[in-house]
Amino acid sequence: MNSYYLVNLLIFAGVDIIACLALNLQFGVSGVVNFSFIIFQAAGAYAAAILSMPPDTAPDFSFQTYVGGYQLAFPLPWIGGALAGALLAVPVGLVALRKLRSDYQAIALLVTSIIANTVINNARPLLNGAAGVANVPQPLSDQLNVSIQTYQFLYVGVTAICVAIVWFLAARIVNSPYGRTLRAMRENETAVAALGKNPTALKMTIFIVGGAIAGLSGAILVGFLQVWAPSTWLYPETIILFAAVIVGGRGNNVGAILGALLVPLGFEEVTRLLGRMNIGPPTLIPALEWVCIGLLILGFLWFRPKGVVPEQRRVFPGAPAVEEETRWVVGKGAR
Amino acid sequence: MPVSEPMLGARDIHRHFEGMHAVDGVSIEVMPGRITGLIGPNGAGKSTFMAVLAGTLPASSGSIVFQGEDITRLPAYQRARRGLVRTFQLPSEFGQLTVLENLLVAAPDNRGESLLGALLGKRYWMPDEMRLVEQARGLLKRFGMSAKESDYAASLSGGQKRLVEIMRALMLRPRLLLLDEPMSGVHPSIVNEIAGYLEQLRDDGLTLLMVEHELHMVERLCDPVVVMAEGKVIGRGSMAALRQEREVVDAYLVG
Repeated sequence: MNSYYLVNLLIFAGVDIIACLALNLQFGVSGVVNFSFIIFQAAGAYAAAILSMPPDTAPDFSFQTYVGGYQLAFPLPWIGGALAGALLAVPVGLVALRKLRSDYQAIALLVTSIIANTVINNARPLLNGAAGVANVPQPLSDQLNVSIQTYQFLYVGVTAICVAIVWFLAARIVNSPYGRTLRAMRENETAVAALGKNPTALKMTIFIVGGAIAGLSGAILVGFLQVWAPSTWLYPETIILFAAVIVGGRGNNVGAILGALLVPLGFEEVTRLLGRMNIGPPTLIPALEWVCIGLLILGFLWFRPKGVVPEQRRVFPGAPAVEEETRWVVGKGAR
Repeated sequence: MPVSEPMLGARDIHRHFEGMHAVDGVSIEVMPGRITGLIGPNGAGKSTFMAVLAGTLPASSGSIVFQGEDITRLPAYQRARRGLVRTFQLPSEFGQLTVLENLLVAAPDNRGESLLGALLGKRYWMPDEMRLVEQARGLLKRFGMSAKESDYAASLSGGQKRLVEIMRALMLRPRLLLLDEPMSGVHPSIVNEIAGYLEQLRDDGLTLLMVEHELHMVERLCDPVVVMAEGKVIGRGSMAALRQEREVVDAYLVG
């Protein structure tokens, strides 16, 4: 195993963990079925790309066309990526989350994801269309005078710091009274409104927060890959992240992290290894991957809806003891 | 507020569903310090009317005045913040939250309940949290539910879920409590218990408006009683007086 492969794995792990923590806040904790999640990662990636690239008239870049090109220094493109995710969440949320019932919200968001991808894919002047943007400069690679290998490990370090920050923030949200209100909204939105909470405001806020985190994950990814195209953010990518949160454990940040490591990363690796064995036609393994993701979601929803690491019961100091047999209601209460 | 002023006045409330007149010109006044009953056969529009009062459904036309303020256009959450709090006909507990958490969610004044407050961390909101835990435990004790504090609300019996809903509403310190069939789906042995709690709440000065099918409970608790049928009010007064009215008896009280 060479070091590039290891670095690649670690960066993807970090990006997937960040994305799953954001999706867990929206879907796992708040019950917002954000089937357009991946477009917020994409917004962050594109924003970080055009904030760090020179204008498309520059030599080396003129083979593509895109708006902007501001050559901002790190960490501005990453901050811009997070902002782009948050800003995109405002119009999408206002359309999808206000008047529609939650099942229709999910459909509206799925359709939004498909529309966004189609538009970017076909409107070439905007972000270079289907070919996508390439040669995205790596953060600080000009300023840091280090070997490629050292740079890569530095990148892993910075990604790890981002994971830690996002985890810290997500934990504060989930474990607070605010997080409790979000969980209550997931359980019964009408009842939450009857208790003086504004469900639209709650949903919009968590949509924007999740959008910002997703945008950051996209910025991290594009800075490493140096390319970003519509084919990397098709709507099924969202389904993989949903599978991760469901398998890991809805509502539990540890579960989201575990899910990120098991599903997107685990599947990628298994597929890659199987691909080497030359089983069947070349399209067989990727197709089987999708079958497996579907079966995984169904299997967990059917047999273990709370996931590998279920949401924790919150017991307050001084509470009377909970009977042993009811401490973990694993597998019960399928919804 | 003088006793003669109604706490809530609804005038000529209509609610249509695609041409179906679920509520067809209902006017009522709810006087403070009493339990007003709302009865009528299935499909009379009682629950729809309650939902319109609470803001869960908007009124098609008509006006609602609560404590002197026109609240007709306010969304449900803003009515709740003003002290007009409802419960639901179907159990609406937060199933995957504990009983204590169900109560804490309803508390209106917790510093940790905004995104910013949450991000500022435990030290910022813990004092509020501990105060509210104490308040919630007081309610649990009063309603005999202390032992269930850390149970998931989904695991409770029908009667216990009703109690959780009432306690949850009380966490908001409401002025007027709208109860939609608080005895339905409740074991008969607990019906009396719930009735006792409601009497206590009334004696504490809380005003209640209650939809209920158990007529002997309505007779015990409610005065006055409003009778609805087919979206209209067809009678009002004490339960004893209503039993004498031909139209009311025909519509509902037969048998």
